[in-house]
Amino acid sequence: MLMRNSSIALLGILAWVANAGAADISQPQLTFGGFGSFGVSHSTMSSGDYVADGSIPRGPGLSDFLSTANDSRIAAHMSAQMSQKVSVVIQIDSEYHTGNSYAPEVEFVNVKYALAPDTSVRAGRIALPTFLESENRDIGYTYAWIHPPVEVYRQEPASHSDGFALDYTLHDGSGVHSLKAMIGRASIETSDAATGDSMTSKNLRGIFDTSEYGPAVFHAGYLQRDTNSGDFLNGQTGAWVKDRDLSFGVQYDPGDWFAKSEWIQRKSTYKTSAMYVSAGYRVKKFTPYLTYAQNSQGSIISDYPAPSAEAARLANRAQRTTSIGMRWDFMKDTDLKFQLDQVKLSDTSNGFLANVPANVTLYGSKFYVISAVIDFIF
Amino acid sequence: MNFPKYPKIAGNRLTLALILAMIAANAHAEVVVIVSAQSPVTSLTAEQTARIFLDKSNTFPNDGAAFPIDQAEGSKARNEFYEKVVHKNPTQLSAYWARVIFTGNGQPPVALEGNVTVRRVVANNRNAIGYIDKRYLNGSVRVVLSVENND
Repeated sequence: MLMRNSSIALLGILAWVANAGAADISQPQLTFGGFGSFGVSHSTMSSGDYVADGSIPRGPGLSDFLSTANDSRIAAHMSAQMSQKVSVVIQIDSEYHTGNSYAPEVEFVNVKYALAPDTSVRAGRIALPTFLESENRDIGYTYAWIHPPVEVYRQEPASHSDGFALDYTLHDGSGVHSLKAMIGRASIETSDAATGDSMTSKNLRGIFDTSEYGPAVFHAGYLQRDTNSGDFLNGQTGAWVKDRDLSFGVQYDPGDWFAKSEWIQRKSTYKTSAMYVSAGYRVKKFTPYLTYAQNSQGSIISDYPAPSAEAARLANRAQRTTSIGMRWDFMKDTDLKFQLDQVKLSDTSNGFLANVPANVTLYGSKFYVISAVIDFIF
Repeated sequence: MNFPKYPKIAGNRLTLALILAMIAANAHAEVVVIVSAQSPVTSLTAEQTARIFLDKSNTFPNDGAAFPIDQAEGSKARNEFYEKVVHKNPTQLSAYWARVIFTGNGQPPVALEGNVTVRRVVANNRNAIGYIDKRYLNGSVRVVLSVENND
């Protein structure tokens, strides 16, 4: 993986070596690169679509026997170190989403200014670090799974914030702590018929901490935002509903194996929680892993006007998934993964299945999803 | 196809001897982490060194700016350093940098070709930190961490 533009980097180094007394590289540096995944999946549930994210309009199951919708995407990345203090990153990706298209979108673009070696501010579109793998959730090459557990990662549909972030890193003798505070707004893509193609969140405030002690990582996050979901959640036209998400994660990865678990509590007009545990073992180029994930049925919060039928449906959906999979690093910067999920819907909901016809109830159903994906970076 | 029996065995023995000699040579290719002889830094732990090379810290424990220098991808010194000090194989390292770079959270160290070049650049800059094969050590640089101490 050589992502630096080598000729430009070389100029920088030569300039730097020439000024051997100087501590910094004063030349601008450009980095180009990208990543992608190509995945296919099949679901044994033929009465609804299995979709990994709320923005995906169709998937395997009812709509397609084999689908590439859940795990296929390609992204281009550029970063530029303009000076010792100023850097810019931009990432554009194309994946199947709202509107049944692969139209490219700006995933994030921001300018970073270093106030001090351990403190910086960013302005622009910034990825939200709600979970351990939130910022890199689209980069399959960076984790063992086909995609992060849907029961947990779907709980926070906002993936980025348009606004500002303050980043602070503290390292003491025992560990590295990185703190990120954010304010901004967010647009959230959705393929749910009730909400239209997108929702908007304003007054977004978030604070996230990641602490690393050697192979152990602890993550905590709190995010709140006001979303224009009043129309469909409780029939209050134009009303903004406050979403509050509290998340915790822990990971232990000494190199030969890993174990991780995350939990989130989510409150809007209803309150719910979700968690997963996952572990894997690395044997040469192979990483077999097991994951168990579940989300619980939500309870309606009484402070709000009576929920709509749609809000009751959203609050009610619950499912649990047991996954077994294998990552194979078969060539440089490229992996191949297989995963088998057993999904069990709660006894009172259709879980996260999409496009289930209005008169169909699949309560308590059990089905399997089998997926294969190739991930690469360049 | 039939080859004469004895030359084949002799050939295998010769190959085996060569392989053993190469393994022995590799086993002695110890990597040392170095700073300039003018640097105030005298020793580092593997953890402190790993943080600097993974762009989790851009300062030495004494708060001086730290500028890490890698060796070229695929080089023996680089693989040995990342395996023994950072505990990552080339695939894990590649996945780590994909995550850091593509989330805009950092940049990998500059990579230079060869032990002599790294030693020269480190010697000439009191903020630089690098790693070289122990056999290339001289008075211009100071060892702050030896890999064999961290097995």
